[in-house]
Amino acid sequence: MLKLENVDVRYGPVHAVKSVSLEVDEAQIVAVVGANGAGKSSLLRAVAGAEKINSGNISFDGRPVNRLAAPERVKQGITLVPEGRQIFVSMTVEENLLMGAYTQDQVQIRSGIEAIFDRFPNLASRRHSLASVLSGGEQQMLAIGRAMIARPRLMMLDEPSLGLSPILVNQLFELILELNRQGISILLVEQNTKMALQAAERGYVLELGAVRMEGKASDLAADKSLAEAYLGDE
Amino acid sequence: MVFTQQLVNGLMLGSIYISVAVAFTLTIGILNFLNFTIPALYMLAGMVGWSVSYYGLPFGLSEPLGWAPSLLVGITCSVLASLLVERFTYRYFKIKHGDSTEHAIPLVSSLGFLLIFEYAILGAHGSETRGFHTPFTDLNWRFADLVISIPQVTSLILSLCIVVGLSFMLKKTRIGRALRATAESPDTATLMGVEVRKIVPIVFVLTGLLCGLAGSIFAVNYSEVSPYMGDHVGTKAIAAMVIGGLGSVWGAIAGGLIVGISETFSIHFFGASSAQITVWGLLLVLLIFRPNGLFGHNAIGKGKF
Ligand SMILES: Nc1ncnc2c1ncn2[C@@H]1O[C@H](COP(=O)(O)OP(=O)(O)O)[C@@H](O)[C@H]1O
Ligand SMILES: [Mg+2]
Repeated sequence: MLKLENVDVRYGPVHAVKSVSLEVDEAQIVAVVGANGAGKSSLLRAVAGAEKINSGNISFDGRPVNRLAAPERVKQGITLVPEGRQIFVSMTVEENLLMGAYTQDQVQIRSGIEAIFDRFPNLASRRHSLASVLSGGEQQMLAIGRAMIARPRLMMLDEPSLGLSPILVNQLFELILELNRQGISILLVEQNTKMALQAAERGYVLELGAVRMEGKASDLAADKSLAEAYLGDE
Repeated sequence: MVFTQQLVNGLMLGSIYISVAVAFTLTIGILNFLNFTIPALYMLAGMVGWSVSYYGLPFGLSEPLGWAPSLLVGITCSVLASLLVERFTYRYFKIKHGDSTEHAIPLVSSLGFLLIFEYAILGAHGSETRGFHTPFTDLNWRFADLVISIPQVTSLILSLCIVVGLSFMLKKTRIGRALRATAESPDTATLMGVEVRKIVPIVFVLTGLLCGLAGSIFAVNYSEVSPYMGDHVGTKAIAAMVIGGLGSVWGAIAGGLIVGISETFSIHFFGASSAQITVWGLLLVLLIFRPNGLFGHNAIGKGKF
């Protein structure tokens, strides 16, 4: 469904993503792991259209999306839950969801919003509060709810577990698996390598912008050299 | 009585500053851009309005028009001029050079447009102050010694309605939310599907409308226009915006009225040249105690409107 071929992203002299090829199939969970600065966020942002690619090709459903601007890609069904959640703190919880539904038919979004509030009762009780008053876990739920309401077919999550307590991390991964069961493909970037590779079918290890290893997630999780480099103290 | 009369005059003057201050605050809040062309947009509405009411439309397209259609032509010119500024200062440099331009290039080029518009009008019509007459120039309410001009009261109410309407639009409509989201984070707004490139011209249209209306209100209330009318209003409106708090629509209302009132009192007690000293002195003192202005948010660039 999503296919990247030799994608490069540069910021001036910084070569953040080096000739990365990657695939996500229909209703699959794919994990991308790697150290800080490996280029994981740049990769997701390139798929979302928030970062220009310098060369290579990105296609979705077999059609190239290189030339589509980010809003067009949202309409095609690609959404990104960005690193650090990026909730609009000057807006209320409900307004954040309305922003998530920006590309949707405005008549039907009401029921979509109620569905999100049914799913997350904590958010429902604060719907008219500023999003800045939410706890870290609630903000992450809001960020994912905001992405869900755009009815994505591919949801990309950039380090969603960052800063969450172990219980919340478990809840988060349950939610990701549930979304996946509903048929949404997931491209997951995580520092929490262990959990990400447990949830995923396939995985990629990014190092200094390039793919160092790829394969079945369970194989990667069992790999000795990888364990030393990344999984060591998880 | 003198006190009340000055207060009334100050409020009326402030109503002009409100719309212009809101125009400044919108471009700063949403685009992080201090648009120096704003005083010229204000002046264009007045001067073009006068020109059409005196000579008619250019190229002999019409006889001189009445005051209302003339001002409508003036406001239209402000909006078009504002879009021209967007095209050549903001959009051209942003898209061509990205954020590396920082704020200096759009700022300096908007200053360029200010001078170009001003001198174009000076070239066309000279520097004289021109009378602008409407049927209700002398319509007043009198209570004992107190004189309240009906057009001025109407304008104050109109200004407040415009600003409240704008505030409602920002809060309750899809476009308004997109504008606020863009104000907080253009990057995240883009990820939500907002086409930021299409949002930017909306800000400039609103800017042109607000300035055009303010210029027209001035022309009607004070029965005169001049190519320099924008200079007086521009600095006061910037002060009003800062006093009220950058990026706050309600702050712009409060700031506009405060500046208007302190200006009329200052002129009354200390003479005409004292107005700027009083207004800017007040601003500097206020900033010592409230660096974010009366209604401003502490993080400039985050969470406005
Ligand atoms: N906007 C940017 N401008 C310049 N360099 C950037 C920018 N964003 C990321 N980088 C650089 O690109 C590299 C990859 O960053 P990033 O994609 O954020 O990695 P990760 O998400 O894996 O931590 C880093 O060296 C980082 O400093
Ligand atoms: Mg990152």
